[in-house]
Amino acid sequence: MLCRLEGIAKSFDGRPVLSEVSFDVAPGEIVSIVGPSGVGKTTLLTLIAGLATPDAGRIVFDPPPGRHNPVILVFQDWLLFPHISVFDNVAFGLKARGLPRAEVKRRVAGQLDYFGLSDKAHDFPAELSAGQKQRVALARALVVQPALLLLDEPFANLDRNLRLSTAAFIKATQRAFGISLIAVTHDLEEAFAMSDRLGVMLGGRLAQLGSVAEIYHRPASLEVARFLGPVNRIPAALALELGAACPGGEGAEVFARPEGLTLTPDPAGPAEVLEQVFAGHYIVYRVRLRGRELTVYSLSDGLVPGDRARMACHASFTHTEEPS
Amino acid sequence: MDRRAALSLSPAACPLALVLAGLGLTVAQSFGFFLPVPAAGGRFDGYAALLAPHLVASFAFSALVALASVLLSLACGTLIAWRIWQLSPKLKPLALVYKVPLILPHIAVAFIVLIVFSGSGVLASAGHALGLVATPADFPAILFSGNGLGLILAYALKETPFVTLMVLALLARLDPRLVQAARMLGASGTRVFFTIAVPHVRPALEASGIILFLYAFGAYDIPALLSESSPGMLSITVFDLIFQRDLALRPRAMALLVVMFLFAAAFIWAYVRLAARLSSRERKL
Repeated sequence: MLCRLEGIAKSFDGRPVLSEVSFDVAPGEIVSIVGPSGVGKTTLLTLIAGLATPDAGRIVFDPPPGRHNPVILVFQDWLLFPHISVFDNVAFGLKARGLPRAEVKRRVAGQLDYFGLSDKAHDFPAELSAGQKQRVALARALVVQPALLLLDEPFANLDRNLRLSTAAFIKATQRAFGISLIAVTHDLEEAFAMSDRLGVMLGGRLAQLGSVAEIYHRPASLEVARFLGPVNRIPAALALELGAACPGGEGAEVFARPEGLTLTPDPAGPAEVLEQVFAGHYIVYRVRLRGRELTVYSLSDGLVPGDRARMACHASFTHTEEPS
Repeated sequence: MDRRAALSLSPAACPLALVLAGLGLTVAQSFGFFLPVPAAGGRFDGYAALLAPHLVASFAFSALVALASVLLSLACGTLIAWRIWQLSPKLKPLALVYKVPLILPHIAVAFIVLIVFSGSGVLASAGHALGLVATPADFPAILFSGNGLGLILAYALKETPFVTLMVLALLARLDPRLVQAARMLGASGTRVFFTIAVPHVRPALEASGIILFLYAFGAYDIPALLSESSPGMLSITVFDLIFQRDLALRPRAMALLVVMFLFAAAFIWAYVRLAARLSSRERKL
């Protein structure tokens, strides 16, 4: 365990923002905390970074952070120092530690090389693209060899087509530098791509923490499931008809994500296609089956509204807590 | 330009026209034209007389006093503003006391400096009362000692709140998270001040520095009370030449004013060019 949060709570002006947040981070692990905007994710990071104090609970580090193993928070808008060059931004932490000039130059050069910024060394932050700014911020943070790196919404200011590659880059960088990392984001796809474990924050509480697959396929509550993507609620009888397991018995419900359902064209099939929407790399079908509307994602665009089809369920789950 | 456009520009143009007219008359009189009494001698005699050692010394003394007082004001004003910016929201309203010297006339500030720092002033009396000196007169001379210290103190006292005001206006736009980022990276308070705060408020320092330097270089009120006689401040010298001496010396007085104007213009031009060269890229913010 590198860092453990125990029962963290924080309020602003009497309004609770975080309640009973507990989890730990192992050395060399990436934990992403996802949740809707305003749920307290950034507040959580500022508490871990020591920029604010929790009202209740404690944050334990082992070993405790210090000048040689700091906790560094990279803010959402990177906050590069605007009046100094890229080189000096990256060198900032090393100069603050009083390292010899030659050592600073050598380490910064290595860092700029790793992050592909060598040709930008003498540029000022205002001259950089969003992706370059983020890389400078990461280089500036990692050059001081932090024990724990905190990333606040690392994908928020990037173009859509840059986000997944950035997630892969962050993961590769974290592995290369061997540091622990906590990221908060509301970009699910990127969080899935880079995280060892994922936490879902809802209403100021950590609703679930686990591996990405566990959270996605076995969500702890319907709210968690719905936050991660659309969910079809299917009564037990219908689920059995679709071939899904129904451990809760006849009165229970099972849940299936749209990609867990398949449609096969069949003029005598029980399902009727109500709507077909082209969504880029998949097709969204709205289907009526036994009086219930379901959503299905498919790679095939062979059905149009009014067509009939057979439906099957290949992946379903039941949640363990009742929604509040 | 049509008539309507000319009329809309007139509020800005009128003061400029007055200044240009005054400047034109000054230049003309410095060459011996339009004088109250005809000038004897050549057209450039007024300027040649400015090379007299006491006038050159007076020029250097004025520039030194202006520069020292501005540097002191900028340093004190920036530090005070930085400390106020760091105060909690509860304490910030109390810090408004820094503005008090702003509302005092310059001459009142000069009197305060006189009362506190003169040979028989508060500081010397306190030194005597504490047994540091045998008599107040033995206290080291601060005013009228030939180094312009009294003038520098008076200008700094008056100008520091102005710098604080200007700097605070820019600090209001400084993202406190920049300071947090620097602190997380291990920066000391001093490094944060010089790397984050000072560059951020540089435009305010440049603007107030130019304004205050030119004011201190040419102002009359504080030197009238606190200036040494030799070398004296240029403003006192000009006043003497115009009002206390022979009318025949008018070309010399006007030549001195012209040189002061040219010096001010050259100062601004050089400073703006230097500042632009130093920060042309980082200012693309």
